[in-house]
Amino acid sequence: MKRKEDPRLIQGLGHYVDDLSLPGQLYAAILRSPHAHARLRKIDRSAAERAAGVVAVITGEDIRGVLGTIPVAAALPELKVPPHYPLAIDNICYVGEPVAVVVADDRYRARDAVDLIEVDYEPLPAVTDPEKALEKSSPRVHEQFKDNQACLWKIEAGFPDRAFKKADRIVRQRFLNQRLIPVAMEPRGVLASYDPGPELLTVWSSTQIPHLLRTQIAAMLNVPEMRVRVIAPEVGGGFGSKLNVYGEEALVAHLAMKLGRPVKWMETRRENFLATIHGRDQIDDVEVAVKQDGRILALKCRLTADLGAYHQLLTPAIPTLTGLLMLGCYKIPAVKIEYVGVFTNKMATDAYRGAGRPEATYLIERMVDLVALELGKDPAEIRRQNFPKPKDFPYSTPTGVIYDSGNYEATLKKALELAGYKKLREEQKKLWKQGRYLGIGLSTYVEICAMGPSSAMPAGGWESGTVRIEPTGKVTVLTGASPHGQGQETSFAQVVADELGISPDSVIVIHGDTQAVPYGIGTFGSRATAVGGTAMFLAVQKLKDKLKRLAGHLLGVDPKRIEMGEGKLVVKGKPKKSKSFLEVVQAAYVAKTLPPNFEPGLEATTFFEPSNFTFPFGAHVCVVEVDAETGDVHILRYVAVDDCGNVINPLLVDGQVHGGIVQALGQALFEEAVYDENGQLLTGELMDYAIPRAWDVPRIETARTVTPSPVNPMGVKGVGEAGTIAATPAIVNAVVDALRPLGVRDIQMPLKRERLWALLEARGS
Amino acid sequence: MIPASFEYFAPRSLEEALQLLAHHGTEAKLLAGGHSLLPMMKLRLATPRTLIDLGRIRGLSYIREDGGRISIGAMTTHAEVESSELLRRRAPLLPETAAEIGDVQVRNRGTLGGSLAHADPAADYPAALLALDAECVLTSQKGTRTVVAKDFFVDMLTTALQAGEILTEVRFAADSPRTGSAYRKLHHPASGFAIVGVAARLTLDATGKGSAVSVGITGVAPKPYRATGVERGLLGQTLDAKRIAEASAQATRGVEPLSDLQASARYRAAMAAVFTRRALAAALGRAQKQG
Amino acid sequence: MKLEGTQTISAPREGVYRLLSDPAVIARLLPGCEKLEPAGPDTYEVKMKLGLAALSGSYQGTVKLSEQRPPEHLRLTVTSRGPWGFADGDGGFTLSEQGGQTTVHYAGELKVGGMVASIGSRLLDGAARMVIAQFFKNLEREAAAE
Repeated sequence: MKRKEDPRLIQGLGHYVDDLSLPGQLYAAILRSPHAHARLRKIDRSAAERAAGVVAVITGEDIRGVLGTIPVAAALPELKVPPHYPLAIDNICYVGEPVAVVVADDRYRARDAVDLIEVDYEPLPAVTDPEKALEKSSPRVHEQFKDNQACLWKIEAGFPDRAFKKADRIVRQRFLNQRLIPVAMEPRGVLASYDPGPELLTVWSSTQIPHLLRTQIAAMLNVPEMRVRVIAPEVGGGFGSKLNVYGEEALVAHLAMKLGRPVKWMETRRENFLATIHGRDQIDDVEVAVKQDGRILALKCRLTADLGAYHQLLTPAIPTLTGLLMLGCYKIPAVKIEYVGVFTNKMATDAYRGAGRPEATYLIERMVDLVALELGKDPAEIRRQNFPKPKDFPYSTPTGVIYDSGNYEATLKKALELAGYKKLREEQKKLWKQGRYLGIGLSTYVEICAMGPSSAMPAGGWESGTVRIEPTGKVTVLTGASPHGQGQETSFAQVVADELGISPDSVIVIHGDTQAVPYGIGTFGSRATAVGGTAMFLAVQKLKDKLKRLAGHLLGVDPKRIEMGEGKLVVKGKPKKSKSFLEVVQAAYVAKTLPPNFEPGLEATTFFEPSNFTFPFGAHVCVVEVDAETGDVHILRYVAVDDCGNVINPLLVDGQVHGGIVQALGQALFEEAVYDENGQLLTGELMDYAIPRAWDVPRIETARTVTPSPVNPMGVKGVGEAGTIAATPAIVNAVVDALRPLGVRDIQMPLKRERLWALLEARGS
Repeated sequence: MIPASFEYFAPRSLEEALQLLAHHGTEAKLLAGGHSLLPMMKLRLATPRTLIDLGRIRGLSYIREDGGRISIGAMTTHAEVESSELLRRRAPLLPETAAEIGDVQVRNRGTLGGSLAHADPAADYPAALLALDAECVLTSQKGTRTVVAKDFFVDMLTTALQAGEILTEVRFAADSPRTGSAYRKLHHPASGFAIVGVAARLTLDATGKGSAVSVGITGVAPKPYRATGVERGLLGQTLDAKRIAEASAQATRGVEPLSDLQASARYRAAMAAVFTRRALAAALGRAQKQG
Repeated sequence: MKLEGTQTISAPREGVYRLLSDPAVIARLLPGCEKLEPAGPDTYEVKMKLGLAALSGSYQGTVKLSEQRPPEHLRLTVTSRGPWGFADGDGGFTLSEQGGQTTVHYAGELKVGGMVASIGSRLLDGAARMVIAQFFKNLEREAAAE
């Protein structure tokens, strides 16, 4: 089934934040620091205040004690949390930090006046390298802390030291998982309006988490939560970057209340690069203990995460997901992980598509290839050898998570068959002899989805779903998940329609408005279908029971004998004895012939909390050729076999897989947020920061195996991030494999042409 | 992405445009396709007080041939160049180059004159213009003058255009018989501009020797240049793959290549040689086909 | 960004040194310099219009002379800030003479911040080269006029 969302979106009939305008609306423009580290000595705003059309110029001093700090929900022992205000007070800690905001009667005048604010900065030494930041001599990002270590988190299980003593070989490698910029198509944007009559603040924001945002804004503004309404209208992509509470969201709301007029702020692309969260940025020093026969006994990793200057909502928690998933889809009995989070003078990192899991998958999938290389084994064989078997599920890992269900050999087998792996290896040998560099890369991944049980989630890991059958038999679904492009308006409608025996066209899915929808958590971590979908699925079951009870009453039979048919409720075994769906619905509303103790109306809500995460998995095969003269990487084939449990809508699943792979390709080949040693972001625009273009994308061959999840009744797992998690190591493994004849062991991402060219040149290609 | 305020004029004739330009002087910028100027204005890297939009002037968009000379109006879009039957037959280097510029949207709006006058050091057209020995026609209230491509590009973002002048036309000779040409480019992965762009045109005499060879290179240095070292190594020689490879090694002779995040000077120099060889080899193959 | 290079000026060393250490001359050497006024010992406030063709912006900042060892060495420190951010240059000039010509070796660093840094990196190398070339071209002209 095609996406219900698309007709309005492709016709330009969707309403994004910037499409909304209110009478008397003002515009905000933000002055941001050009320095990475500085003391704010003086701000002279007089010229800006006098400029035409300017209504207000606000600085950090004005919000001191008025606006609360930007929240961090991550709970880690001994986490250092520097106060983080919507406008800098006293100190600047990264380039792009907001210093002042101008509000004017149009966006041009607001922007003009920004240039008139005179700021006297006292530049301070900056630190941008996380390892240098940990040295004693390093400048401190926050003076009040004795060093730049933000947090320390450890896992140790299964006696890793002993395993390393027993090893035949120890394989070591350092992996850099570079800093990425999420680049959602629509930058952030906020429109806020305060209605003094009902004392209601309404905030439209391009966000993934309207309910959590509402709770947090209310706290930051010190306004009772019931007087705040947050609406996420159409959201033009988030990829995790809008799973956050940003200073601008509270600031714009504050300005609307203070000035008594609606205020809009739209982020520019430049601001989006500087001041919306970044992703990844880890250094992983990994070593594994292996037996000569290929068994992996243990893994140790020191993970150094560059968190940037401040914590956003989940900043320091993201690398813990790397830790939980670090053993990948392998039965490795012992592990030791030490994660150090570090402050630097950069924008904060946080959840970016995959959030911690791509880093884990990258390091384990690269590591397994290195083990194969060192032992002279086929990378497919090493993988197979270390997979848990289907009978091992549910499989408890030493990192403390329980993989719900899986059959890893089946996906690998299917992927190798589709790719023609054997033949490819033969072809490769031939081409190598001709001086051509063909490479084949595998990635067998598992990931953590459907976040998750509440014990693992700071704000709770459940989701709400409400289904209301209207008196005309049409259905309104309210979901606390707040999809923003994933297509749940389609897939949820399909599920409800199937359950009720009606057409998906008779179902509408409402989301993203805290006044319309019961409290929910949001869309991220590939959770909307497995958690939000389940909540809705369970709510439908309640309504089905109610409909059956009523139909039984109307037909004079035991409700247990009623079943749902196409557009009707039928007595089992007696197809002619039925009531139409509409008749039963109307009976529930007109309420004249109800069974005893039967509540009129047809609406049900479920809050569903899963007992565990889900663990989708798969096997990807990438075939590349490296141009020996230029270092250019050509992806010749890309085969993706994914298992995300039961599939509701194959088109949506394929779309997620495709998009994920393309984003992974960006990290593997092009993308890198580069800061210089003074903390200046050198890749501050799409002219310099390369995201994949249509011409970079290979044809993607997708296939599936189906291993349902036992943790939810639909048996679904989630697929929003799988492609991003799986594909980066598949591509890098392929390129490293291509250059194997040169003795290449590892190449740092992104695999820029010049980097590969230098390897080719140095080894006399 | 919000430009500073500016005054906007949309003259209907070249005379009117020249008058406006003369009146507003250096504070005025001409708006052709806008695909370089407008992004810079949105970032406020460029803050011209006055914009003179050439888009409503009739008669600045044309491609014609007259006695073996081709002339192209400055407001001709990249897409028009790319799809011109006349050019594909008579000077295929230019449509091949146009097809490599930006993406479809850019090619539909961007213009030949706009791109040349902006003189981005990594723009595609300059390489082709140099290889074609093109002339630029500059018009002012005082009249017109022509400047050869080699002299038109003065430095990064700087051309021979003087105050009050508008680039109105580009002219060059159509291909003579037994001529082959090619444009080969290493794309910048983000901007799509040329890290290295090489335009080559060569003509073979009856014996298979190169009777004319020209190579224009963009992206490598602050301004596009003719690779005269390469040309000298091929002129009057029997052309084959080996000789082309040898000559191409001279692609950056006398040039100090640029360095940036995507490509160091060393890599640029190496790629200039590779793409020069590839462009020349393709051009040779095409010339030989006409045999 | 490191800046280093050598330029030859057709004039004796003393004369070139005198030019390089004269604030009034520096004002003419710096491309786009509109104003240069004393603001402390060997320190001057400047107003500059820096730009390449369509791209231009007004900066204000300071010029400072130090490490003056006539006629062989001096150091020039320029700071500037404007709506695009900031650009600070700091470099030493070492002069040597041969056959009536002066060889000026310069070595220094350019630090840019804000918009110039984050979106100009592609053009920065070429732009710096242009500004330096203009500086020395102006110096040559000043030397010839002496």
